[in-house]
Amino acid sequence: MAKKDLVIRIGGEGGEGVVSAGDFIAAACARAGLEVYTFKTFPAEVKGGYCMYQVRTSSERVYNQGDTYDVFCAFNGEAYELNKHLLVPGSVMVYDGPGGDFEPEIPEGVIAYPIPMTKTALALKSKRSKNMVALGALSALFNISEATLKEVLTLKFKKKGEDILNFNLGAFDEGKKLAQALEKVDEFRVADARTPDDVIIISGNDACGMGAILGGLEFFSAYPITPATEIAKFVATHIPKKAGTLLQAEDEIASIAQLLGASYAGKKSMTATSGPGLALMSEMLGMATMSETPCMLVDVQRGGPSTGMPTKHEQSDLFIAIHGGHGDSPRIVLSVEDVNDCVNMSVDALNLAEQYQCPVILLSDGSLAFSTQTIPAPKKENFKIVNRRKWDCKGEYKRYELTGDNISPMADPGTPGAQHIATGLEHNEKGSPSWDIHNRDLQMDKRYNKLSTVIENYHDTEIDGEGEADLGIITWGSTIGVAREAVERMRAEGMKVKGFYPKLMWPMPVEQYEAFAKTCKKILVPEVNYLGQLSHFIRAETSIDPISYPICQGLPFTPSQIIAKSKEVL
Amino acid sequence: MSLAALNKVEMKPKEYKSDVSVVWCPGCGHHGILNGIYRALSELGIDPDNMMSISGIGCSSRTPYFIKSYKMHTLHGRAGAVATGAQLAQPDQCVMVTGGDGDGFSIGGGHMPHMARKNVNLTYVLFDNGIYGLTKGQYSPTSRPEMTAYTTPYGGPEEPMNPLLYMLTYGATYVAQGFAGKPKICAELIKGALEHKGFSYVNIFSQCPSFNKIDTVQYYRDLVEEIPEGHDPSSLGQAIDVARGLENGKSPMGLLYKVDKPTLDEKLAEIVTKVGGHKDYDVNKIVDLYRP
Repeated sequence: MAKKDLVIRIGGEGGEGVVSAGDFIAAACARAGLEVYTFKTFPAEVKGGYCMYQVRTSSERVYNQGDTYDVFCAFNGEAYELNKHLLVPGSVMVYDGPGGDFEPEIPEGVIAYPIPMTKTALALKSKRSKNMVALGALSALFNISEATLKEVLTLKFKKKGEDILNFNLGAFDEGKKLAQALEKVDEFRVADARTPDDVIIISGNDACGMGAILGGLEFFSAYPITPATEIAKFVATHIPKKAGTLLQAEDEIASIAQLLGASYAGKKSMTATSGPGLALMSEMLGMATMSETPCMLVDVQRGGPSTGMPTKHEQSDLFIAIHGGHGDSPRIVLSVEDVNDCVNMSVDALNLAEQYQCPVILLSDGSLAFSTQTIPAPKKENFKIVNRRKWDCKGEYKRYELTGDNISPMADPGTPGAQHIATGLEHNEKGSPSWDIHNRDLQMDKRYNKLSTVIENYHDTEIDGEGEADLGIITWGSTIGVAREAVERMRAEGMKVKGFYPKLMWPMPVEQYEAFAKTCKKILVPEVNYLGQLSHFIRAETSIDPISYPICQGLPFTPSQIIAKSKEVL
Repeated sequence: MSLAALNKVEMKPKEYKSDVSVVWCPGCGHHGILNGIYRALSELGIDPDNMMSISGIGCSSRTPYFIKSYKMHTLHGRAGAVATGAQLAQPDQCVMVTGGDGDGFSIGGGHMPHMARKNVNLTYVLFDNGIYGLTKGQYSPTSRPEMTAYTTPYGGPEEPMNPLLYMLTYGATYVAQGFAGKPKICAELIKGALEHKGFSYVNIFSQCPSFNKIDTVQYYRDLVEEIPEGHDPSSLGQAIDVARGLENGKSPMGLLYKVDKPTLDEKLAEIVTKVGGHKDYDVNKIVDLYRP
């Protein structure tokens, strides 16, 4: 098929403006009505270290970061060294030269454009303008609309003053002139501008915060942790507008404790963390289950165990999300595919927590956290907001009353006549401690059985494709976006492939898994962790015998990897 | 807690008793503290519907069960953090935490400084018996080294901490100390704490006849002495001097420190005011900020 997308990767030293250059390109493309999907890798260090920003843009929907780059822009020798193995015939490199800190060897068939970024920036007496020079050159070389880019730059720099704005625009023009002096011999170009849809461009982390606020969030307790902290930053910025509260706690144990206190006291509450924080919270998650307190938590997964690879991508918290904690502790686990889901499913997660009065964990991951994507602009009016069932103020109030659907009405403190205790002890209907064996059965059943309607109340798992297939791909999280493209490309080659993309991870919609697997000769489960955690649950809970395909190197899958593996197993 | 905003009710101390029977051992000091709490609530006329009583785990953490109020029985060490969230969610309600020395200063030690520092508007009554009672007698952060206990058969290797100095250092705005054997004084100090706007801490010595064989009623009686007249509770310097021990070496009983500072909920409300926030704000405006 004709190539509609373009992937530009910029690599350099942290602090050189790699990220802002990438952000400007992404924003300009979005402004020009194009679809955008970005992917970034950061060092774990505060300053310095290799940093990479990749923009994939197209006139059609993009589901993932792509296989590799078409255009590589090297800010320094380290970036060149780390990316030169991907310089294949037909690819393009724009590099800092002459006058940079390296002399690249240009492989046969690779097109290279030297742009003296550092030299030009130094001549302008500001080393920091290097990224503007590069941006001007990339704009001229690859049809990134100059007018749109300058609009974006103006929006960004205008508040810093006319001088700073004009200086940056000047550096941009220098880069443009340098590129125009070169002969363009490749055919890569960003798609032409079109009338923009009603979209926003936003990162996964910001989108989780946005979804939560759209979902009626009132209280957020935060503790800093990579790669989840931006969710708290978003909420801290915007929740006061809604007269809501964000508090930074002293640790993750305190943040989930504060969440439970606020939720008990009647507020829609959440926190966000990553794996190590989730591990610390696991005791309090049990308390949320036992006391039936609504509790919403986002886990932005990162490379584990322990400190692991904090800035790298991984999907390895499915075990702890579903079963982490002591005792039998039922909860709901959701997982997002992309930035659009980060908005919509944060609303879902808050709604489910309120409806079922239990912990709801929303799993995101490291690559989505920082990935900016164009998504349909969400509207408050389009979301259904669910609030906890309230006591009708009739008769005797029993907090843990055994009702038909096992969900007991709640009463906020201050309600006359409904004094009660929220307790981590096993309790009877009134909340009083009870070790009675019959009561134990009733209350354990209550906590599990109230979740029996989650599957029917949540939308069915999406199936990509129809009829019988030789291979069914089941995957989760941001790997779904990669699988979508892999399935599409394999189908275009005439292969019979289907996809099954669960978002409700727990309770597991077992019948839907079984029905899907019946239509496929083989099942392949790609996921970014070491053990194959979803494969494990599929084996444990269904009769399916999947082929597990875990990778665990700190990077997301590429469509080509899934295609190659699919061909291998067929 | 600023109690002005709350409805006052006419209830006798015993009317604050819930229908759950008290489970503490005979002779336990906690009975006296509980009576002090009932009396303080009665004198202030606090409406049980407008009170949240929150605890962690331990003998004294059972207290909420015995009081008419909204209540949470949470996890070991976490009562203060849970109460912080509850207080911020319902800043007009009366929030009281009850717990022990192990619950507060050992496993919960990560949270104590921050309630004090942030001036969370709640009252923390710490039943200090120098031992873990519920697990049958292990040494705690306030145990004396000469105490032989479950895990210290040859005596303890550690020096005890001073809860009063700790709280003063971290910025608590109300610090007092009592003794379970003096329930009237306990009631006064708890009453003052509940009336105080800001983080109020009341340390109350409480004998554990079952497991702490050295900190007896008589020991505490000899240990404490009322803070002499003339003490200025608005002076942090004087409070710290007193917290280190009275001139005759006795432990102070009474109000050491009380100062008015903005509370955490007030400061968070200021942020809302600063951004002009209100419940009906159109959140679609936030979405608009992300248009390309």
